[in-house]
Amino acid sequence: MPQPLSAKENSLFRQVIRNYEDKQYKRGLKAAEQILKKNPKHGDTMAMKALIINSTGKTDEAFALAKEALTADMKSHICWHVYGLLYRHQKNFEEAIKAYKFALKLEPGSPQIQRDLAFLQIQMRDYQGYIQSRTAMLQAKSQLRQNWTALAVAHHLAGDLAQAEKVLTTYEESLKSPPSHTDYENSEALMYKNSIIAETGDYQRALDHLESIAKHNLDRLAVLELRAEYLAKLGRKQEAAKAYRALLERNPEHSEYYNKLTEVLGLNDDDGTARKAIYDEYVKKNPRCDAAKRLPLTFLAGNNFREAAKTYLSLMLDKGVPSTFANLKHLYSDPFKKQTLESLALEYVKERESQSGGEANTEGELKGTPAGLYYLAQHYNYSLSRDLTKALEYVDKGLKLVPENVEFYMTKARIWKHHGNTRKAAEIMDQARNLDLKDRYINTKSAKYQLRNNETAKALKTMALFTRSDSSAGPLAELIDMQSIWYLTEDGEASVRNGLIGLALKRFHSVYNIFDVWQEDQFDFHSFSLRKGQIRAYVDMILWEDKLREHPFYTRAALGAVAAYLGIHDSKLATNAINGSANGTEEDDAEKKKALKKARKEAQKAEREAAEHAAKQDPNKPKAATSDNAKRDDDPLGLKLASTDQPLVEATKFLLPILQFSPKNIDGQVAGFEVYIRREKYLLALRCLNAALAIDATNPVVHEQAVRFRKELSSKLASLHPKVAEVINTEFTAIPSSTDLKKYNTEFLKQHKDSASHVVSAVKIQKLLGEDQKTCEKALFDILKLKSDDWEPAAEALGLLFQWRSSEAEAFKKAAEDTWPEVTLFQPPPSPPNATKPAES
Amino acid sequence: MDIRRLEPRDIPLIQHANLENLPENYFMKYYLYHALSWPQLSYVAVDVSRPKKTPYDYPKIVGYVLAKMEEEPTDGVQHGHITSLSVMRTHRRLGIAEKLMRQSQLAMVETFGAQYVSLHVRVSNKAAIHLYTKTLGFDQDKTEASYYADGEDAFSMRLDLSVIRNQIRDAAAAESGDEDEGEPVGEAGSKALPVREKDLKKVKVGRGLGVQALVEKDESKHS
Repeated sequence: MPQPLSAKENSLFRQVIRNYEDKQYKRGLKAAEQILKKNPKHGDTMAMKALIINSTGKTDEAFALAKEALTADMKSHICWHVYGLLYRHQKNFEEAIKAYKFALKLEPGSPQIQRDLAFLQIQMRDYQGYIQSRTAMLQAKSQLRQNWTALAVAHHLAGDLAQAEKVLTTYEESLKSPPSHTDYENSEALMYKNSIIAETGDYQRALDHLESIAKHNLDRLAVLELRAEYLAKLGRKQEAAKAYRALLERNPEHSEYYNKLTEVLGLNDDDGTARKAIYDEYVKKNPRCDAAKRLPLTFLAGNNFREAAKTYLSLMLDKGVPSTFANLKHLYSDPFKKQTLESLALEYVKERESQSGGEANTEGELKGTPAGLYYLAQHYNYSLSRDLTKALEYVDKGLKLVPENVEFYMTKARIWKHHGNTRKAAEIMDQARNLDLKDRYINTKSAKYQLRNNETAKALKTMALFTRSDSSAGPLAELIDMQSIWYLTEDGEASVRNGLIGLALKRFHSVYNIFDVWQEDQFDFHSFSLRKGQIRAYVDMILWEDKLREHPFYTRAALGAVAAYLGIHDSKLATNAINGSANGTEEDDAEKKKALKKARKEAQKAEREAAEHAAKQDPNKPKAATSDNAKRDDDPLGLKLASTDQPLVEATKFLLPILQFSPKNIDGQVAGFEVYIRREKYLLALRCLNAALAIDATNPVVHEQAVRFRKELSSKLASLHPKVAEVINTEFTAIPSSTDLKKYNTEFLKQHKDSASHVVSAVKIQKLLGEDQKTCEKALFDILKLKSDDWEPAAEALGLLFQWRSSEAEAFKKAAEDTWPEVTLFQPPPSPPNATKPAES
Repeated sequence: MDIRRLEPRDIPLIQHANLENLPENYFMKYYLYHALSWPQLSYVAVDVSRPKKTPYDYPKIVGYVLAKMEEEPTDGVQHGHITSLSVMRTHRRLGIAEKLMRQSQLAMVETFGAQYVSLHVRVSNKAAIHLYTKTLGFDQDKTEASYYADGEDAFSMRLDLSVIRNQIRDAAAAESGDEDEGEPVGEAGSKALPVREKDLKKVKVGRGLGVQALVEKDESKHS
């Protein structure tokens, strides 16, 4: 039972609450202890004390005290509310919701508890709960428009469009006088209602409603766009055409408007002349418009294309637009257009050269001849029109005319990257950086190329040139803080290549955590957006957050993490195996230790430098450094992560969002199979395998997995639950159980003997099925004879040979270097670091 | 390049473009704060024709303008502010920055009745200063010492938006003449009122909206 407080203590208790709200934690704590001295079992005070303790960072202590408070006073809404707050602070929203519900039961009228609960419910997408909370909040305060809008949003998100619309209408009808024309809460609420009507598919009603609200609406663009869309959907083509023209008047750089306009005008897809006429109109109206000049190139054909492309290309190159190639390369999927653009660019250069007598007079600018050469360099560097020797020729020609040009250097670096020469690529990109030290873009590129060349320490140093130097935490912490996902991912991948799995996992986990933060970021907007009144943008945000981890940023880092964890699992198995020879050789271990030692040294050095730097910045502030120490990373190299006992559980954590949000990503399905087959979850493995087969049945890795699955089943099927076995038998049709796997694989090899990556996969399977290693090695050497530009399968083959501890590995490497002399991976390791010391100190 | 309004799903790649190009960086939440407070004001330039590498590729952002309305203008005049503007080095000379700015300015007037738009630029950034003063017509207002984190000064610039206001007013008047009885449209249509008086009207945007926590995250404001 709660202890009653005296009047004096009651006022003291109110002070505790005030102190907490004003963040005067010391005072609040003192006052709370004063009360507890006389009333040691006063639940509410104990709870408030717990809340204050929690705010000072002592979460465990706070939870313990909050539990004590609840034992002392189970019937106190304050105790339950505090319990909820603590859970919310921990981001354990489910438990928080439970606690809030208890609190609300004890104090049904509390607006604050109700509000807190509502926001947790929408954060957790508990739509029915949110509708309940919102209904209660509306009943409590029905004069506030945002309470009506919020209930409508709740119904809308729950999928009940009719109810959402009804709520909005009820409020509108309750208004005695029309809101002011500059009231954007009103303006937006009307547009929100319109979007709900349109979502029902009744475009006539949506159009009628839109016309009734259009005149004073403050979101002019949305009104124009929706009107055009509804008219088009209703088949009112002439009016729709007029509406799209109005939009093009506002913004002639939006391709969708042109597409829709031609559509509603009923122009035939192959009527290039008529279609082009529309674009020409807008070129005339907006001489500086790019879209109207460029877009017709996508549908024009034959001579019409040639003419238009010639005009466009000359214009762009004369002007010196560096993105000309980037703007046109999508046309290269059409071989005729690819060839035409090549010959036009060659002609252009020839013409300009003859005009200027070979001397470009462009004052170092990327205009005219140099621009043409730049286009050609990119053309021959592009995957669909690649000829790296020619590409380099054009770069060198260009650099003779404009010697200090960053763009040419960048392209040159890319050419070496495509050669596989990451070392040279990084060197040249850094030369480019040195030509324009104030530009972060080129700085970023240089760091990225250093990472691709596995120079992680150098890359961080490059990055540090543009991270904030006043933070004592150092550039890496700053990059994590600023959510620099690209850097973390590239650094993780480089660490994998350097054999530093812990460090790699560290980076991939950082990316994972950033996505968690992005998901939490929406929390504040549940209340903020309603107060701001910008409802459509809020709903857009909610729908986007629902599939946040669909982003390729997530998938790439997660695939890296899954692969790393699989590696940890496999090497553990190998260590535990009776066959000791599968263990890493001493040489290997020494190599790893060396790399780890180096990484540790680098981390310490970076930390020291950052601290020194911060000290230099402000010598009077030694305190900042100590507060940073408090949150210092206790596992900077990720050694704890790498020593996990449950690598497959960790891998699954990264894997699940890929399978859920990016099921059509074949790499995700392939990774899923690898995780599940190791966990002996055969149904899940089969689901991934079948999904991968549906995406690309000719993928060589999918072939490997199918054979491995059949082989595994031959020994495991009998031990499975009969129901499971039955499902697998009916679902796994790619390779029937009666198949002779060796034969099947030989057949596959025969069929794909000209594709190196297929050969590598087939050889892996040969080995698995017990083929003699010598035969397998010989088959791998055969891929060097395929004379392909693609060296990556050979790199995989080399990795395989090392894995087999093959005596042929070095010979293969040498042979690969002879075939692809520029590939850094096949070259002997670089000479000691002194030879290539970076220019800056 | 396609120019269109920013959508929440664009934000990861906007943040990426910002991190690649500029030294002033922000958390995702700060972009969300813009996108959810003034969704009409921010625009992106996207490469829509870029071949996709996965079925889940998001449109590649090659330029963006992140804009806002000043929450509590010290001069009491409703005005917009450019938080960040950037175009990839590989996509310069196409006029993208100018086109992004013009779309944003139009919306500032139409939706929020902005009188002017302000921005800060590094005193050393010649190209940007040229764009703002020569192409877009901004006036250099004053210099703010050590505005940026690295100690560099900023020019504070502003552009009067009355040209756009007048255009909108004229268009509205013409439209009203065509279709109905010439009722003034929105704020910009109220010809009868002397503009001066409206200029001085105190605005109450964003008052007490608890956005302080977000505003604090504007890294460029640290000196």
